Amino acid sequence: MADMEYRLLLTLVALTIGWILAGASMCVLTRALLMACLDQRGRALFLAGPGRLLRQAGQQVVRGVALIAVSAVYLTVFGAYFLTDQSGHANLFGATTNLGAAGWTLVTVLAVAALAAVAPRQAGYVAAIAAGGLGLYLIFVACKFPAQTYDDEWYGWIRDGVDVQGLGALGTAALTAGFILTRRTIVADIRAREAMLSARVDQLTETRAEVVDSAAAELRRLERDLHDGAQARLVALGINLRTAERLIKTSPDEATSLVAECRDTATLALSELRDLVRGIYPPVLADRGLGDAVRALALDCPVLVTTDIRLAGRPPAPVESAVYFAVAEALSNAAKHAQATSSFVRVAFADGMLRAEVHDNGIGGADPGDGTGLAGMERRLGAFDGILAVSSPVGGPTIIAIEVPCDLSSPKTSIS
Amino acid sequence: MRLVLAEDLYLLRTGLQRLLQDHGFEVIASVDNAPELLRALVDEKPDVAIVDVRLPPTFTDEGLVAAIEARRQVPGLPVLVLSQYVEQLYARELLADRAGGVGYLLKDRVFNDDQFTDAIRAVARGGTVMDPEVVARLMTRRQRDDPLLRLTAREREVLGLMAEGRSNSAIAQRLFVSEKAVGKHCTSIFAKLGLTPSEDDNRRVLAVLAYLNS
Repeated sequence: MADMEYRLLLTLVALTIGWILAGASMCVLTRALLMACLDQRGRALFLAGPGRLLRQAGQQVVRGVALIAVSAVYLTVFGAYFLTDQSGHANLFGATTNLGAAGWTLVTVLAVAALAAVAPRQAGYVAAIAAGGLGLYLIFVACKFPAQTYDDEWYGWIRDGVDVQGLGALGTAALTAGFILTRRTIVADIRAREAMLSARVDQLTETRAEVVDSAAAELRRLERDLHDGAQARLVALGINLRTAERLIKTSPDEATSLVAECRDTATLALSELRDLVRGIYPPVLADRGLGDAVRALALDCPVLVTTDIRLAGRPPAPVESAVYFAVAEALSNAAKHAQATSSFVRVAFADGMLRAEVHDNGIGGADPGDGTGLAGMERRLGAFDGILAVSSPVGGPTIIAIEVPCDLSSPKTSIS
Repeated sequence: MRLVLAEDLYLLRTGLQRLLQDHGFEVIASVDNAPELLRALVDEKPDVAIVDVRLPPTFTDEGLVAAIEARRQVPGLPVLVLSQYVEQLYARELLADRAGGVGYLLKDRVFNDDQFTDAIRAVARGGTVMDPEVVARLMTRRQRDDPLLRLTAREREVLGLMAEGRSNSAIAQRLFVSEKAVGKHCTSIFAKLGLTPSEDDNRRVLAVLAYLNS
């Protein structure tokens, strides 16, 4: 009976693979049907226009049908070979009954486990479909085939249509389990999506409030700086010029010294405006983008800074700005608090993620919670779903890592 | 002295033009955008050009880019770049061709017309004039591992003033020492930076470059 064992083993393997293919195709088809009512993507597509939803669902159906075709070809070609009975008569469906109820259950469990390993998120649907399919099949077998046993062999536990009634009951149970599993999976799926969405809404509400608050605070600061600085100096300038105008004939010396004072006042006002603008949007950032802005920052830093910048284009302006100020803050902390003597900045873009790192050889101990300005930067980055992570053990070194998901625009073309 | 002026803001352009003419400069072309500037520089080859960094069409660093490009086509073409901001990064780019005849000043420096016109003439002669703010920002850096560490504090001071485009006599006046003493400091600086006398014409430029690149 060695040939029988060999054939049976091959049959087990062949059918497991066949079941996987069939299960996967059913899964894809089911997802296509569920997409319209469940899927976040499906909902978004529906809102964008039913035509696109239909096209997408159509693609899923095509994919499912293609998978079914592959499994059909597989079962026909290999199944016909492996499942041929001893008389040489190729009888696909007849031969599979050799497996019996236990064999099919085993094959199903194997197939579900394999699919679940490949696509864990779809595992629930896979299990539901497989249980349903198994149930249908067992009922079919119970109705159709007579009993035959292999009690004297090691695989005696696999028996053919042992007990028509038992098989039928098992099939019905499996079918019921399939239904229950489907419903539970769908409900769990919806709950998971809802939880995810509500967490996202909470996060967006929080970061939006933070951004609005900090933007308002920033505007107030600008107003105050302009009011007490450049504006006041321009008023003084006007007054002094008027006085000089009056004195120019009677006491030209005094007038001259007043005009000289006016010049100094204008210089001071300009210098204050420069500082103000640097704090809002640094000129190099506006001119050249993040790469050169970070290089300029490195040149101005009291600490020796080396840079490694790999950007093929420009991130969106608000992202550039947030990352720039975060790097600036990190470098200024390195110089001021960490007593670092050298620092290294890396900026790179890959796979939809802008990453920046600032390393320094200082004394460490930086804590985003203790008002070093890093917390503010973290909030600012948070508005773009960006994160800022700080590793700064006491004694150093400090590493600050920034990640912001974004797109790059193509590089600016300039005359050359 | 024939001069090309590039400034996009009408008020500033006319103001500058009048100031320059009052000081005896001949403004042969006065343009308000980068493509015209590049054409004027390459075609007219003026004795010196005064260029605003930010110009149309992109209003970023068009003026700087045009000035560097013009100097690529006409090596050593004297250019004095004016800006509302000074950046070491841009200073380095301007100096990178090591040809001299480069100035980089804040627009406020125009207020002091005597110093400003001195700077224009220095640039036209092939000198290097960096804004005191560029120099000041270099001073804030901590000591780094570079050739400048071999300079004494006094020599660094002299080099800083050299970067601002001051002549030996002006440096001497500023530091209240004799011109001869300044000459000695210069010789010492050139030696420490490894600049041989054969490079004499260009040694001040190269020293400033070494200073900026520290």
